Amino acid sequence: MVVNGDKSAANGVCRMTVDGSYERADTGRFDTGEGARPFYRMYPDSELEKLMTRYQQGDFAAATALIDRLSPQLHRFFVVQSTCRGDADDLLQETWLRIHSVRHTYRSGEPLLPWLYAIARHIRIDHFRKTIRTATREQRLEEMPEVAAAIGDTGDAPDLQTMLAPLPESQREVIEMMKIAGMSLEEVARATSSTVGSVKQKAHRAYEKLRERLNGMRPTKGSMGGPS
Amino acid sequence: MKEQEIDEILKRASKGSEVVDASILSRIAKSIEPAMRPVRPLPSTWMLAGGLALLCVGVAVGGAAKLGFHGIEKLSASGRGAIFPALLIFVGLAAVSWVSEMIPGSRRVVSPAVLLAAGCAGMLAVFAGVFHDYHAEHFVAAGVVCLVAGLLHAIPTGLICWLVLRRGFAVDAVAAGLAAGTLAGLAGLGMLELHCANLEAPHVMVWHTAVVLVSGLVGAAIGWVVRSRGGNDRAAVTR
Repeated sequence: MVVNGDKSAANGVCRMTVDGSYERADTGRFDTGEGARPFYRMYPDSELEKLMTRYQQGDFAAATALIDRLSPQLHRFFVVQSTCRGDADDLLQETWLRIHSVRHTYRSGEPLLPWLYAIARHIRIDHFRKTIRTATREQRLEEMPEVAAAIGDTGDAPDLQTMLAPLPESQREVIEMMKIAGMSLEEVARATSSTVGSVKQKAHRAYEKLRERLNGMRPTKGSMGGPS
Repeated sequence: MKEQEIDEILKRASKGSEVVDASILSRIAKSIEPAMRPVRPLPSTWMLAGGLALLCVGVAVGGAAKLGFHGIEKLSASGRGAIFPALLIFVGLAAVSWVSEMIPGSRRVVSPAVLLAAGCAGMLAVFAGVFHDYHAEHFVAAGVVCLVAGLLHAIPTGLICWLVLRRGFAVDAVAAGLAAGTLAGLAGLGMLELHCANLEAPHVMVWHTAVVLVSGLVGAAIGWVVRSRGGNDRAAVTR
């Protein structure tokens, strides 16, 4: 994590390691140090919850450690949900500001990820409600067949955003939370303010669609982006 | 294609996508640093919900004490035994629902919309079982008085309960407003059941139940307005 208050780190060349020390990240871009570790949690829940509790107590190091550890998956959540990386960057910043202002609503002992994703989801919905309504929505509909076609046309594995693009947003977020962030059904239900049954249903439908796409079926315009 | 194969493709697709620009993380950390101070976490859901339920009972009993306990005096024992426990159950559910809506990532016991529908339907069923006088004298005139009285008790209930939950954060303001309105409406309904001596079935079923429905809808409308305004403010900040 970037050292704060240190002017030499203004360009984000240092980061805090798990043990609280700092190291160089000369590339200017870095992952969490764990590389891509999908399908299971990057950090134990208890560790994140302890950091969150310390964050609530005013420990800035704990706050920066949390930002370091959780930002990549939050960013990916936004990237998967939107087509624009710039939007994802903005949403990530807005989410952390909101997390900071409502950090007292987290209660120790409760799972952290549903709390975090509920806020992130709120920020995303709020943002898209304002912007997508107009030009972006129309643009997305036009882009989606190309995105979906890319899956069928190329033999290489598509990136996550491309792969999940044909899914409706509600299914996409469920897949992202369950299969990429490694959250349980119960946690996804909490984060999305829905029931476990509803989450299961969305995941099942998403898998059906992914199976169709991956089997080489070309999508039709009418089957995309509809409500789940 | 099997589910495991799709999992594997998702796994491969997600590799390398976890990169965040360091300058962004730096900016985030710097932006929160000046405001770093200890905060007091919210109490448990049950404590908050219990407090809200007690406030509702307090407003209903207080209102009836001021206006007179004519309704409960006129009710039969079986009527009291059916109406008030049912009301307490719905008040408890509404309190838990509102608290859940005000704390991100909470387990949703019941959806506020379902709760409003169930609350109205449940109370209608109880009233239908208790009241068998189907006369309807001064149906509208007497009904409007009760509706207004119920709503006038729902408003302070909503405001006082909001003070208790003001530190919460509603990720869905409309749902939170709906739950809040339902809870406040149930307090108004409770006051009417304690106070109103008109035991005609149409009057109670229509006008008393309408307090919950109207209050819930008004709460949802307030939530919608709050969401719209909040969204605009945040947009301005972002820009």
